[in-house]
Amino acid sequence: MAVVLENRCVGPEVYRMRLAQTPSTPGQFYMLRPLEGAGDPLLGRPISVFDCVEGDSVFLYKVVGRGTKLLSRKREGDEVAAIGPLGNGFPLEDANLTLIGGGIGIAPLYYLLKEHGRLFPARKRRVYLGYSGESFLTEDFAALADACKVNIGGFVTEDVDFGLGGLYCACGPTPMLRAAKREAERCNTRLLLSLEARMACGVGACLGCSCETLLGNKRVCKDGPVFPAEEVLL
Amino acid sequence: MTALQTQLLGVSMKNPVIAASGTFGFGREYEAFFDPGLLGGISSKGLTLHGSKGNKGVRVWETPAGLLNSIGLENPGVPSFIQRELPQMRRIPSALLCNMGGHSLEDYEQGASLLDGADIDILELNISCPNVKAGGMAFGMEPATAADVVRRVKALCRHPLLVKLSPNAPDVVAVARAVEAAGADGLSLTNTFLGMAIDVDRRRAVFDNVYAGLSGPAVMPLALCLVHKVCKAVSIPVVGLGGIATWRDALCFLMAGATAVQMGTAGFADPLAMPKAIEGLQAYCQREGLANIHEIQGIV
Repeated sequence: MAVVLENRCVGPEVYRMRLAQTPSTPGQFYMLRPLEGAGDPLLGRPISVFDCVEGDSVFLYKVVGRGTKLLSRKREGDEVAAIGPLGNGFPLEDANLTLIGGGIGIAPLYYLLKEHGRLFPARKRRVYLGYSGESFLTEDFAALADACKVNIGGFVTEDVDFGLGGLYCACGPTPMLRAAKREAERCNTRLLLSLEARMACGVGACLGCSCETLLGNKRVCKDGPVFPAEEVLL
Repeated sequence: MTALQTQLLGVSMKNPVIAASGTFGFGREYEAFFDPGLLGGISSKGLTLHGSKGNKGVRVWETPAGLLNSIGLENPGVPSFIQRELPQMRRIPSALLCNMGGHSLEDYEQGASLLDGADIDILELNISCPNVKAGGMAFGMEPATAADVVRRVKALCRHPLLVKLSPNAPDVVAVARAVEAAGADGLSLTNTFLGMAIDVDRRRAVFDNVYAGLSGPAVMPLALCLVHKVCKAVSIPVVGLGGIATWRDALCFLMAGATAVQMGTAGFADPLAMPKAIEGLQAYCQREGLANIHEIQGIV
């Protein structure tokens, strides 16, 4: 169980929650569950790490069902069952970085942006954020990026120049990832995708989150969630 | 922990808690959380002769206190299991159950022949997977077809044979009796219950296969009832499973007559569910002054 240090609404049905002593690296996630032991809801929800401060992961999640609704009601000092850190995460490379996030898919990109800036201050960091409705946390990204463009209601990938070199990373709805993959392949650009999937275990045991790749089935939770775009079949 | 010492089909286990097939991979996935060697046994992911990529579309869907799954037996196949997975699974000091399903009688026979020469402790024959078309569960629905596949596999495989039954058969007790008569050394039940979910926003079934298998605490009373009935009807050992999440749940199945139990879905919610259940059973024996947990087996 992890203690809630902060849990507040930062956008339309979007919450940011800080949990004590939950270490992580950029791109990883935790299975979070509002209660301990057997009961209802039964399973954890895979929630992306948005940031990590002094060993406490800060999570960003959208309320979409009963599990996340109960998480959103947690107050400072309450406890949450937390399994993690899980997944492979993003590599930190000494190269210019372009990040593309759609909706709640912006979540795993912030920590990557922050760590990249800390390790490679001389490199350029460009961020493209797409929202279907009201935007959120755009200023947090803008403060750490050399350029930050926000797209509301359109196709964020249309704003992106895929020919600038360096490493591109994207997370968001599947149509967005598909478009990014297509453009990256056209420009021969290195693109990493952070995939989302329904999960039961989060540790690679249940095979509930398998995705098809050129190398056969892979588990989003254990082999991912970050995959080279050219590898995955979307 | 001699109080939990368990004999299952001639195999000595340090406790009666076995990781259920399809919930524990090939034994390595939970190593970061606990030593899998603490378990009495581990049942492998369900294997088929040639392997399978599994089902497309949504594969897991939570229900009230339950989990619907439609994985579809994604697995590397029997030969690949023997070559790649078995050596490292064998290094875990727990009883090794190899779970195998099939799409045809020939598949079952060939798989059993290959496993005959492999270093496993128990062959758990899956005639109950609800998630593959024209396979698995089809064999477990009627006494005659279930007995036929058991008889054929028994003739080809020297390992103790544990037959995993479906709760979806019209008469589970009749299938259990037929499987016993066909030479099964033990039974495990229940596999998942056939269930369904509909996505009302999309006006369609959640799963591509429409139906899926339900597990988790929601099914425990149903599974317990079937285990109790079958234990009264057969004289071979029974491994009870279906929704066990705590040591108390495990105890229910032992009191209903089971020799051992399997846990699965509970480990998804809490990776430590099985080691906690083992500790709880141990503490129960001490509190109750039991020299061995099996003193309470079948007392209900």
